[in-house]
Amino acid sequence: MKTDLINKPTRRHFMQAGVASSAALLSSTALAQETTLIPSRGPGDTIDGSVTYASRSPFVKDGKMRGSANGLSGGGITPLQNSQGMVTPSGLHFEVHHSGVPEIDPSEHKLLIHGLVGDDKIFTMEDLMRFPSVSHFHFLECAGNGMGEWMGPRGQTVQQTHGLTSCSQWTGVSLKVLLNELGVRGDAKWLLAEGDDGARMTRSIPMWKAMDDAYLAYAQNGEFLRPEQGFPLRLIVPGFEGNMNVKWIRRLEVGDKPWWTHHEVTEYADPRPDDKIRAYSFVMEARSVITSPSAGMKLNGPGFYEISGLGWSGAGTVSKVEVSTDGGNTWQNANLQAPVLPKCHTRFTMPWNWDGKETTIMSRTTDDTGYTQPTYDQMYKLQGPIGMMHNNAIQNWHIAQDGEITNVRS
Amino acid sequence: MSVHKITLIAALGATLAFGTLYASAQEKYGFGRSVDADEVARYDGDIHTDGTGLPAGSGNVALGAEIFEIQCALCHGENLEGVRAMGAGSMHEGRRDIELLPYATSLFDFIRRAMPLTDPGTLSNDEAYGLVAFLLNETGVVDDANLTLDAASLAAIKMPNRPNFIIDPASRFTAEDLKDN
Ligand code: HEC
Repeated sequence: MKTDLINKPTRRHFMQAGVASSAALLSSTALAQETTLIPSRGPGDTIDGSVTYASRSPFVKDGKMRGSANGLSGGGITPLQNSQGMVTPSGLHFEVHHSGVPEIDPSEHKLLIHGLVGDDKIFTMEDLMRFPSVSHFHFLECAGNGMGEWMGPRGQTVQQTHGLTSCSQWTGVSLKVLLNELGVRGDAKWLLAEGDDGARMTRSIPMWKAMDDAYLAYAQNGEFLRPEQGFPLRLIVPGFEGNMNVKWIRRLEVGDKPWWTHHEVTEYADPRPDDKIRAYSFVMEARSVITSPSAGMKLNGPGFYEISGLGWSGAGTVSKVEVSTDGGNTWQNANLQAPVLPKCHTRFTMPWNWDGKETTIMSRTTDDTGYTQPTYDQMYKLQGPIGMMHNNAIQNWHIAQDGEITNVRS
Repeated sequence: MSVHKITLIAALGATLAFGTLYASAQEKYGFGRSVDADEVARYDGDIHTDGTGLPAGSGNVALGAEIFEIQCALCHGENLEGVRAMGAGSMHEGRRDIELLPYATSLFDFIRRAMPLTDPGTLSNDEAYGLVAFLLNETGVVDDANLTLDAASLAAIKMPNRPNFIIDPASRFTAEDLKDN
């Protein structure tokens, strides 16, 4: 840290001196010989017309951790430790699949909307893209984000503890526009959304949500969806658990009751400590995590560090993120970087001078509904030992005297 | 503009024809192709909790046991214990316990559309009924080694854990939203 601060001005002084002397002594060859300019690196790579989509610098190795026991159910987690701003690059967006990633030709893809509507209709991608479009920044988070942490701290990095959340700008057509186009019957209360993967992932979506802010996205961050994000069409149900944002969507059935499909009754419902099961826990409640410094990193001695992280809420807009650098004894409001949008990642930062002593740092979000991110102790009263989904508890990072950072519970 | 005028007239016609529709001020765009019931049926394979959508056919525990041994045990284990290396958990305990399910219809629906993992959509209706019978008997939900299931008998099964599924305030939903039957 220290050496960096000294080096930077020195280099600048050297260059300023160089400019001044060459202007004053333009004709002097003696001085020019004394000053050896950093040699030019010469021409760069030739501009290859066959490369039509840019890739990252070979020096940037940051990647998802991807895997599957059987090759078909599994996915990949986002490297949040290196994230900047609020948008996740499409290629680093987390993914969870239940039957692999299908390859779908958009010219053959169809969406059927039927059931309690005036007219059952099939739409091609071309049809859907003719409707007025909407674009929104929204986060998506898997309900299982942090399930591995439920019984105790396990993840070695923030990628492993929180990497099942990502944020993109999505563009598509509003469900309300489509449903109004067909005419929804008065007794319609629920929608079944079905994907075109092998498993035909299905989830029930409440009609009020569909009519409120849900949409079918064909684009992510300014380009067509990536295959693992549902190309050519996926559902976005802002703020609701990731699994409901059905990928490769092929069918929407309008009905009067929920379907209680396999995924909504087993994996994604929340067993409580009293053996009741909390159904329809769709909203991804307010949560935050410090992405830097975070577990797996090491502070390079006492001095200035910027604490940086992400806050989000599926119920609304982040109204504040508080940070504690003394194990939760005192809290300070962090800066929220613009834009601060509803149901969207919000980047927070806080300047911090580390005194070199052992401590624990953490963050908590409050959203504009007044809800504040809970502690693990509060969560354990709400959900039982197998109720490990929807874990939005406060994350602690322990900083040892040598700067080593680890994932701890308290 | 003229396209919109035409679709607006079509929209008025549609509104007259379906008097029960939600009132919507939206003009109609007229995109998409109307489809008849036969075409819808080719897409619509889901099962509702009241049994709507359950196909013809039937299967018993013995048929289910036979299919399970051949097509499922590799991942789910001989005793439903789950083979971790294949990514499958126990169906006897924990989150994926069959006894936790609120409806047998969900089990049929899931098995028929998503399993076996490597070959989804290949089970016959009889096999799917048999597998549900086998799993319900094996996990003790229905204690009957001769259980035979078809559309009517499967829809009639009352899963013991259904009353434990509740809406609590933390869900931000009301009991009205949950009403399902
Ligand atoms: C190649 C491995 C594999 C095979 C073969 C397989 N399954 Fe599965 N099964 C899985 C996995 C993995 C899951 C979890 C799927 C998920 O949630 O993505 C699963 C989930 C299930 C579930 C939901 C409950 C649970 O344990 O998650 C049922 C029921 C089920 N399978 C039944 C069957 C039946 C019946 C067969 C045989 C016809 C079968 N499976 C064959 C791997 C397999």
